[in-house]
Amino acid sequence: MASYPQDVRFGGFVGSLIWLIFWILVIVALVGLPLIFIILFYVPLPEIDGKVLTPYLFLTSILYPQSAFPVIETLLASTFFKVAVFPGFTYAALIAAATIFIERKFLAKMQLRVGPLYAGKIEGILQLIADGLKLISKEIIIPSGADKLIFWAAPIAYVATAAAVVALIPAGPGLVVADIDVGLLAVFAILGFFPLIALLFSWASNSKYPFIGGLRALHQLIAFEIPFLISALSVVLLSGTLNLTEVVESQIQSYWFIFFLPISAFVFYISSLAELERIPFDLPEAESEIVAGWLTETSGMIYGLLQLGSYIKTYALAALFVILFLGGWAGPQIFPTEIIPASADAIIPIGTLYDATVANAIFWFTLKTFGVIMLMLLPRGISPRIRIDILLHTGWYKLIVLAFINMFIALALIYGGVLGPGGLLVR
Amino acid sequence: MADPVFIAVAVLTVGTAIISLEARELIYGAISLAIAMLGIAGFFLLLDAPFVAMFQIAVYVGAVAVLIIFTVMLVRTQALFTTKEDKKRKGAGIALMLIIMSSLGALLLTSGLSGQFGDFNSSPAVNFTEIGELMLTYYAPALIILGLTLAGSVIAALALARRENIAEEEQEEDEEQRHHERTT
Repeated sequence: MASYPQDVRFGGFVGSLIWLIFWILVIVALVGLPLIFIILFYVPLPEIDGKVLTPYLFLTSILYPQSAFPVIETLLASTFFKVAVFPGFTYAALIAAATIFIERKFLAKMQLRVGPLYAGKIEGILQLIADGLKLISKEIIIPSGADKLIFWAAPIAYVATAAAVVALIPAGPGLVVADIDVGLLAVFAILGFFPLIALLFSWASNSKYPFIGGLRALHQLIAFEIPFLISALSVVLLSGTLNLTEVVESQIQSYWFIFFLPISAFVFYISSLAELERIPFDLPEAESEIVAGWLTETSGMIYGLLQLGSYIKTYALAALFVILFLGGWAGPQIFPTEIIPASADAIIPIGTLYDATVANAIFWFTLKTFGVIMLMLLPRGISPRIRIDILLHTGWYKLIVLAFINMFIALALIYGGVLGPGGLLVR
Repeated sequence: MADPVFIAVAVLTVGTAIISLEARELIYGAISLAIAMLGIAGFFLLLDAPFVAMFQIAVYVGAVAVLIIFTVMLVRTQALFTTKEDKKRKGAGIALMLIIMSSLGALLLTSGLSGQFGDFNSSPAVNFTEIGELMLTYYAPALIILGLTLAGSVIAALALARRENIAEEEQEEDEEQRHHERTT
């Protein structure tokens, strides 16, 4: 039986608190204040609402919240906010975290289990935080003979590449980090990095099971990259652009492309499952055949990073499916035009920040994306793993042919005057 | 000329290209080759050709570099070759490269090509829909010939890789089996 040390006293507790406060004061005096003065003297600060933004403004905003409001407004419009929070990394990471928890509960319910139950009292809702803390506090074991540089760099590169895909995904009209003309091509170009990273990591692990997993990842890339591209190409034919925002706008002007391209959507769904290495295409990390595939030697936060990257990738591909086939953020207007009366005289004018169309776009986009993510989670509960010799056969003999069939249907729709510029179904 | 982005990309590309030649470990050479190819894609982006840049990344980094890395992983480097250091040859190579590059640069700078397109920063990006239209109208014969060449090379590769003796082997196996059955 565990016992507490006997010399625990209240005085000691208070003493430790005072000690802590002393150190905080010392650090603020020696580091914080000089930092503020360095910023004031040497860094050119931006001008907001006629006033120069100084660190002292933050201190005054504790007493007068309305003085902080223009600062928040500029921050929300800045590129940094787009990259770091919405629709960039934090949004994707939050959805990825929600996906991990929902996947466990959802699969458990499908198989008549309970899933996470105890952490956080209500349906194990804090299980994810517990898992995260466990992963952070665990030791990272590097196998002997491993290539240390690649072994450390690969997980970070994996998350960074997944975030780069997220940067290209528009979550609403104008809500995109990088709105480039060749957005769809850029997504496919970046997706090509993942097997490379998996292969490098598997080689760097210096172990046979990871290496077999890495080779399988490469095999899977060769089998499914071509149908993946071709199924997205028929969307490009119908919308006449590679820009993802314009793809969604062309669907708002006519109808969702899934009605014209159901076969392409099916091929895209299957190939994105293969791209994500999810069951039934989890050959690179087949846990009953090759331990854990290319993740075998991972431990602690290296495993956590790779897992985070793969779930961010899940979000990115689900969002891509929504944008290409399900009309992106299009949906009936369900938000009222204003929640709080928008007057500039209010102490905290939150009403002026609220925009009904943007809220609506974000709501429908997130809802559809979650729907597609659930659809991607579903096969894990019901499907066995595909046999490795069928993989290439499925990809090249069946999916490519199916994608081409729907591409010809799309071409027929364009030349028949149904879709495309000036078509029958274009409003 | 003093564009900091251009200089950064140039340093990255040339540096990783040199590393890819000089790296002791073959795998690091292959990785730095992939980074050099990324740098070339960066040049295409700077030259307002994002379409070409994306294909550069997809084909060269996503496919060619992966193939090279895959091949490097499967061979044991020590067994293949031993490195021979020759200071004289190395110096001569560097000097020759510098002479060729500087003379090429001097030629380009004096030829009048450099100022032909005016201000680079103000010109819009190359429109890839126009490229597509040109490919299917004026340059259609060239495209068709290229496609036929590729198809021909794929068919040739299949013909080279085909094993002609599969049917014979199966026959032999059948006969062996029959022989085996007869003996037992």
